[in-house]
Amino acid sequence: MFASWSRVVRGALAFALAVFASQALAAGTVKFGIAGPMAFIQGEDHWAGAEMARDEINAAGGITVGGKKRKVELVKIDTNEILNVADAATALERGITRDKVDFVLGSFRSEAALAMQEVAMDYKKVFIVVGASLDQLSANVEKDYERYKYWFRISPLRSSDLVKSSFAMLGSVAGEIKKELGVPVVKVALVAEKAAWTEGFVKAASGAIPKMGMELAGVWQPSATASDVSADLTAIKGSGAHIVFTAISGPMGVALGRQMGEMRIPAIPFGINVEAQKEGFWKATDGKGNYVSTLNFYADVEITPKTLPFVQAFRKKHNRLPTYTATTYDAVHVLKMAVETAGSLDADKVVAALEKVEMVGTASLVSFDKQHDVTFAPGKTMPLGVQWQDGELVAFWPNGWNGITFKGVKPFKVPPHMKGQ
Amino acid sequence: MLASILVTGLVNGGVYALLALGFSLVFGVARIVNIAHGAFYMLAAYLIYVLLDVVGVGVAVAVPAAVLGTVLLGLLSYWIAIEPIREHEGAVLITTIALTLVFQEVLLGFFGGHFLANPSWVDGTFPLLGVDVTYQQLFTLVVVAVVLGGTWAVLERTRLGIAIRATANDRVTANLVGMNVRRVEMATLAVSAGLAGIAGAVVAPLRVVDPLMWQAPLVTILAVVVVGGLGSLKGSILGAFLIGYVEAATVFLVPSGSFIKGAVALTVMVTVLLVRPEGLFGVAFEEER
Amino acid sequence: MFTWRVLKRPFVLLRTEVLVLPSRVAVLAFVVGILALPLFTKDPYLLRVVALTSIFAIFAASWDFLSGYSGQVNLGHALFFGAGAYGSSLLQHHLGWSPWITAPIGAVVAGGVGFVAGIPCLRLRGSYLSLATLAFPLILVGLLFALPDLSGGELGISGIEPLVRSRVGFYYLAAIVMLVSVFAMWLVGDSNTGLLLHAIREDEVAARASGIDTQRYKMLAFVLSAFFAGLAGALYAHMLRVAGPSTLETAFSFQAVIWGVFGGVATIYGPVIGVFLLYPATELLGGVPWVGEHRLLVFALVVLLVLRFVPEGVSPWLRDKIEVVCRRCKARNVFARKDCRVCAAGLK
Repeated sequence: MFASWSRVVRGALAFALAVFASQALAAGTVKFGIAGPMAFIQGEDHWAGAEMARDEINAAGGITVGGKKRKVELVKIDTNEILNVADAATALERGITRDKVDFVLGSFRSEAALAMQEVAMDYKKVFIVVGASLDQLSANVEKDYERYKYWFRISPLRSSDLVKSSFAMLGSVAGEIKKELGVPVVKVALVAEKAAWTEGFVKAASGAIPKMGMELAGVWQPSATASDVSADLTAIKGSGAHIVFTAISGPMGVALGRQMGEMRIPAIPFGINVEAQKEGFWKATDGKGNYVSTLNFYADVEITPKTLPFVQAFRKKHNRLPTYTATTYDAVHVLKMAVETAGSLDADKVVAALEKVEMVGTASLVSFDKQHDVTFAPGKTMPLGVQWQDGELVAFWPNGWNGITFKGVKPFKVPPHMKGQ
Repeated sequence: MLASILVTGLVNGGVYALLALGFSLVFGVARIVNIAHGAFYMLAAYLIYVLLDVVGVGVAVAVPAAVLGTVLLGLLSYWIAIEPIREHEGAVLITTIALTLVFQEVLLGFFGGHFLANPSWVDGTFPLLGVDVTYQQLFTLVVVAVVLGGTWAVLERTRLGIAIRATANDRVTANLVGMNVRRVEMATLAVSAGLAGIAGAVVAPLRVVDPLMWQAPLVTILAVVVVGGLGSLKGSILGAFLIGYVEAATVFLVPSGSFIKGAVALTVMVTVLLVRPEGLFGVAFEEER
Repeated sequence: MFTWRVLKRPFVLLRTEVLVLPSRVAVLAFVVGILALPLFTKDPYLLRVVALTSIFAIFAASWDFLSGYSGQVNLGHALFFGAGAYGSSLLQHHLGWSPWITAPIGAVVAGGVGFVAGIPCLRLRGSYLSLATLAFPLILVGLLFALPDLSGGELGISGIEPLVRSRVGFYYLAAIVMLVSVFAMWLVGDSNTGLLLHAIREDEVAARASGIDTQRYKMLAFVLSAFFAGLAGALYAHMLRVAGPSTLETAFSFQAVIWGVFGGVATIYGPVIGVFLLYPATELLGGVPWVGEHRLLVFALVVLLVLRFVPEGVSPWLRDKIEVVCRRCKARNVFARKDCRVCAAGLK
């Protein structure tokens, strides 16, 4: 009892001191609040990407605001959103009111992103989302521009655009399978976690897949946190599918990758599998996740001239590939650009500048559309297709799609156990 | 379809049985709803991961060491946190929850929220009634049988077993006739933690190892144990296969409905309770005072 | 003369009934402190934390009303919180009604859910009841996921109208609703009904044998408790402006149990104290390096340690330290007194 009180008092004192000290030091810096689940890899990469941008900018003198150079300061906002949604909104409000951040970057879980969007808009803070793909977030901007105009998204694409690009890739993958196996009709089983962002996939699949000359073998919707999908996989195997088309952001992606390998399901997993975008996937599946392929935003290919230097620098520092939440790197840079154009930190002016911004980022050419989403267009902002090949994450797409080929792509591989059928 | 349901239900039922056994035992003897049971399962999985991947010993060393480690951690938790407040039921319940959170946070601190994996003991698949089953899954069934046999032998054929059953039946009388009820409970907890450890060793390779991995089995364990009747080993085994089959049937029969299998299993549990408030094989604690 | 007496009455009451007992002084100080806080600080973060604390206090106290008083230990109390949050949000969102109307309806909906959940629970006892209640919110989540058009699936319902736009305004709303609800629950708990609930918890057979319709009282506990939890849920939804499945999470149900047992069960005020100690502390500790990143660990360790040494909960323990009960007339006295303030018997 008394221990807990003295902890509170000491905590409050330490907190007051920290606030005081940071305010004394912070005069003349530009503060970026990095909001993410810091105990998890999403938050780690939010922070890691922003850190690299900060070091670069500060080494070059800082951000020019109205003729004066100001250093970049990062404030860690641990949203704890994976475990608790209310914590996310509270943490953001603390960042805005106590730490007085100028801008907010980050967020991951959709339910939390919605709550955080409200808080940031209440305070008219520029909030660039790096992590949540939900359409509704950007639809809000169009619906009520005056309130939501401070909101932007740099990564990933909104989920309806993710659907479009993964269907484009699905065509290429199906072509490979047809060629390699000589089957007349490619059968596709859709595995979409039960979530709002996958609804687009489920709806589009029944129409688009037959139109693309393929057959839809069925739709399976396990829970995003399922740790065992062996029953689903048994059914999928029975359906004779050649492609397991995935729309998965949760840990179920690991279970799927591993169990497909373990049960030797004669089909190629392809689609969106957020866990497979991470370098830890190989280990998490005990090497059984071979041939799993997914959309991704970073790999050792040249999306823009900035991609490879960033990926290599990141690898050097953290000894792994960045995941898409590390696009905070681009977000800090794009804000620097907007602040310098606007000549002030005033939110309305920065928003006006952001709306017109054009920047070569590390994952895309950054510009924002009328919903304040990063503009989706071939050759401008589009995801990569990557595949796990014997422990390495290899980019295979776009390889000649619409005349676009990224430097460094390698051929797609069809698992040998599919050929032996 | 039917073969798929039969095989999948059997295999998953085996996994659930292994997870539920220890939980059921501790409730039956000590009347502790041990939320931390899932945490012990998780600890064993992490111990094996560390021993295999970091220390670099073989499976033959890692698994017994991990099971032993789990038993020790279980005893330690009981001795430090639960035993002194044994009289306060609510406090014991929360203590097991808080213990779980402590283990979760410690693992999160050391390993981060990353997904890890333990290797299978045996690779490959086996066609059972035309359905491919991995050897690891079959192996689980074997372990369930062995563990069940072992537990049964201990309960029926040893002095400790007699003491455990006596305590489960009537604590007060057991105490009166001179048994050290406290030590019996401690032994039960050790056995239960050991069973959780074995589950961690055998089941974790089928799943993902991460600091939240205790949650998914916990809910299933509860459903299994309640359906079967709290404290009844026979009930737990039957409940496990019932829930396994219900879930398998949901996945195969409801189009794109596998997300709902957990909710269906819990609904079955509530329905069973409505018909038989003490579960299928539970002892009706007739107005226990 | 007469008016003088009327004016004097509250002060006399204050002196003879409140100031004589430390626990009553503490309650008075708490109420005054809560109501006066915005006069000293307008810090929106602080007011947010205290407003959330108030909402969770209603939630924890309502758990205590069901689990502490009637002994039906509910491990899925989030069911009622979520029912209130979803009830109010769905009506507000789909029908466009004012949140001032939908929030009370949300609480009533939760009360209805309490009735429905109570029906099977009347047949269950002990751990079976606890484990069955644990399942209820998870079943509801499954249902919500199966009906995404209505419920918004895992996103829940967003863009809900706030009850009050200003932070200070909402703070007062939450604080006053909390004080009123907690007082109401305490009144019921202290009345004959509460006594019957105690009796049912201690020995249901004996209570039934004495001619008490135990089923009816157990159901009453379910419905009332659910109503107040739903009220808290509705306030919460209109504060965050999102009502999602996280309001139904098992971890959140466990929170209620932790707050309740930490503060001390079967008291109503105990859980409130538990929330007001634990929630702001974990939140404020978020600003301290290391501790901030490990606050859940610190939280769990504090709970473990406190329960290890004070298993009956913080508030009963504290109350027994600062007050003694007169052995003759059962009246409470400050620990420093030598004789009882009511019957003048010696206290030692």
